[in-house]
Amino acid sequence: MSLFDKFSKLAGARASLGAEGTPPVATPIEDIISAAEGVIDGKRVILAGTNNYLGLTLDPDVVHSARQALEHFGTGTTGSRMANGSYHAHAALEQEIGAAFGWPAAMVFSTGYQANLASIATLAGKDDFLLLDSDSHASIYDGAKLGNAQTVIFRHNDPENLDRRLSRLGQDATRALIVVEGLYSMLGDQPPLAEFIEVKKRHNAWLLLDEAHSFGVFGENGLGLAEQAGLLGEIDFIVGTFSKSLGGIGGFCTSPHAELELLRLAARPYIFTASPSPSVIASTRTALSKVTAGADLRSRLWDNINRLYRALQTYGYRLGSDKPGPVAAIILPDRESALAHWRGLLANGIYTNLMVPPATPKGLNLLRISLSAAHTPEHIDRIVEAFGQLRKAA
Amino acid sequence: MTNHNDRIDQAIRNAVETALPQINGIDFDAALTSDIGLDSVQVMDLVMEIEDELDISVPVEVLAEVQTLNQLGERLRSMIKDNPA
Repeated sequence: MSLFDKFSKLAGARASLGAEGTPPVATPIEDIISAAEGVIDGKRVILAGTNNYLGLTLDPDVVHSARQALEHFGTGTTGSRMANGSYHAHAALEQEIGAAFGWPAAMVFSTGYQANLASIATLAGKDDFLLLDSDSHASIYDGAKLGNAQTVIFRHNDPENLDRRLSRLGQDATRALIVVEGLYSMLGDQPPLAEFIEVKKRHNAWLLLDEAHSFGVFGENGLGLAEQAGLLGEIDFIVGTFSKSLGGIGGFCTSPHAELELLRLAARPYIFTASPSPSVIASTRTALSKVTAGADLRSRLWDNINRLYRALQTYGYRLGSDKPGPVAAIILPDRESALAHWRGLLANGIYTNLMVPPATPKGLNLLRISLSAAHTPEHIDRIVEAFGQLRKAA
Repeated sequence: MTNHNDRIDQAIRNAVETALPQINGIDFDAALTSDIGLDSVQVMDLVMEIEDELDISVPVEVLAEVQTLNQLGERLRSMIKDNPA
């Protein structure tokens, strides 16, 4: 018996993706040429699987801010927010996030994963209830595991199914935290937010919306799906990440409830970890200002989204979502065809994400494309053309 | 009691048929993950079907405690006993 025996199934799943050629999991990216192009296996490729939705990772102002902070404050804070890791800039970013939403409280975390871990595990305590969408991100499930609340899963994007579960709780539903996402990263689909809010209100429950993939993409100021739907006033907590539209690493939770601040005293993933490095905080502050004023970036992104979705639909691909969005998930019949598509696209100079069970909902085999404002019309032409060739060859 | 037992066993059978149509025959003593080979998503789909069949909510913490359908059935029986509809 070895401690490693339990990983044999995972090792087998990885081996089934092929030992030869470029690995489709943890694909080595040898160089970054721009926010939209890189080098894989010595070949220049279009990056269409990065979540760099607004292309801000190499924005000159964002990079300049990071460089200045790096040179002035050094490489890291070497401590937690509770000890020596609270610099002026951390608090300033929190204030700016709260101000963007018009809310009194915001907390910054070292990763987006930790933002969910901390918020979910701490907000819902021992005598409380968590109601999670079945397609929730791992960080949401792990937040539930870390906390002590009783956790119940409801069917993906099904407000009626949530309603039934809340009804069973009766009066206890007032101590239930519902968690849904603004955009689901695997299938690229969106929740029926207004219907979920109706259910939440009917039971006097609480709602946390994870806008990791929708922040920067939806809404006049890029604040996410709730802003676009005109429903910000109905949300209790919004969690977001710095590692997608904002081009850095870290995460946040913001709320119209000023008491969110109390989580600083109780949230273990906030207390027992080093605070984000000054350069990341600086780049995120600049990126945030570009996101909120970034209608032009969003307009470019949406042009790209609409063109790609139209083309994929024309080719007859089955997509994870009918509604266009920054993630286009192509559902393929099996692991082999998904892998063949992934390799075919890479051979044509397009890097995408291969997603297979158990990382995917409903056992689906997916080719996942994420679009960026940094993609030019020519990039989209090339992606569309590559799919056309694959379709012809099929 | 027998009625309860029958109802729960039938709900599990129906749920397996709906959520896991690829499974041939139901072995109530087989471990869901190591013997039948289900992943965590498939186990969750199965439990959501059972919840709908029986009109109860099964906390995910329960799933960590059970390995087989028989063990799940036992837990469901005690949950229904504690909170009869």
